[in-house]
Amino acid sequence: MSVSASPTEKPPMNDLRELYSEVIFDHYRAPRNRRVLAEANRKAEGYNPLCGDKVTVYLDVQEGVIRDASFEGVGCAISTAAASLMTDALKGRKVGEVEALARDFQTMATEADASPHPELGKLQVLAGVREFPSRVKCATLASHTVLAALKGEREPVSTE
Amino acid sequence: MSDIAGLRIVGTAKEKAAILSFTLDGVHAHDIGTILDSQGVAIRVGHHCAMPVMQRFGVPATARASFALYNTREDVDTLVAGVREVRSIFGR
Repeated sequence: MSVSASPTEKPPMNDLRELYSEVIFDHYRAPRNRRVLAEANRKAEGYNPLCGDKVTVYLDVQEGVIRDASFEGVGCAISTAAASLMTDALKGRKVGEVEALARDFQTMATEADASPHPELGKLQVLAGVREFPSRVKCATLASHTVLAALKGEREPVSTE
Repeated sequence: MSDIAGLRIVGTAKEKAAILSFTLDGVHAHDIGTILDSQGVAIRVGHHCAMPVMQRFGVPATARASFALYNTREDVDTLVAGVREVRSIFGR
């Protein structure tokens, strides 16, 4: 165990509060869309072996539109909130828009500058994760799994 | 440590090494690690390259603090205060 007394090595506390915002806690404690979707015609599994996070994404796609989306899995606050917010954001979108949404989300989670991404709506609450490189994969696991489901990948996608 | 609500120590052998794996109800190990990091405490979290053991104990992951010759009593107090902070951020 390493304990650092030097405050300069600590990320500022406001970064931590930004990461663990009320919206993220809300979606962690009461995840939306966490269920098996019986009508799903697209499904993929995602796995983050370093964390032990596993997520299965279910999509019901009708005439090129996401009619319904859900997920199952256990994970940390960040990955659970991300899956909850992402499945909410997909409903009613055209398949063609989803890829851009997932890519924009992944850009927001990793880019150094804090440019706003209004197109991401509520998903913007996860922007704080960019200050925590070890947590980026928690935030992006669901979005990678959504893309795999649309591509019809049978093997689980891994963040490693 | 075991006074903290929902804290479970994994591995309680009598002659155990100076290593402490634990879980906290309702909080994933990665969240524990990030918050402790912000307090200046570095621990290891996740599977520890031992996924079958995690399955054996029925946990998705654990947080693990290990103590070395250079760690002081104050370091241990900082760890415990950090875990209490995790509890307070996550509630209960």
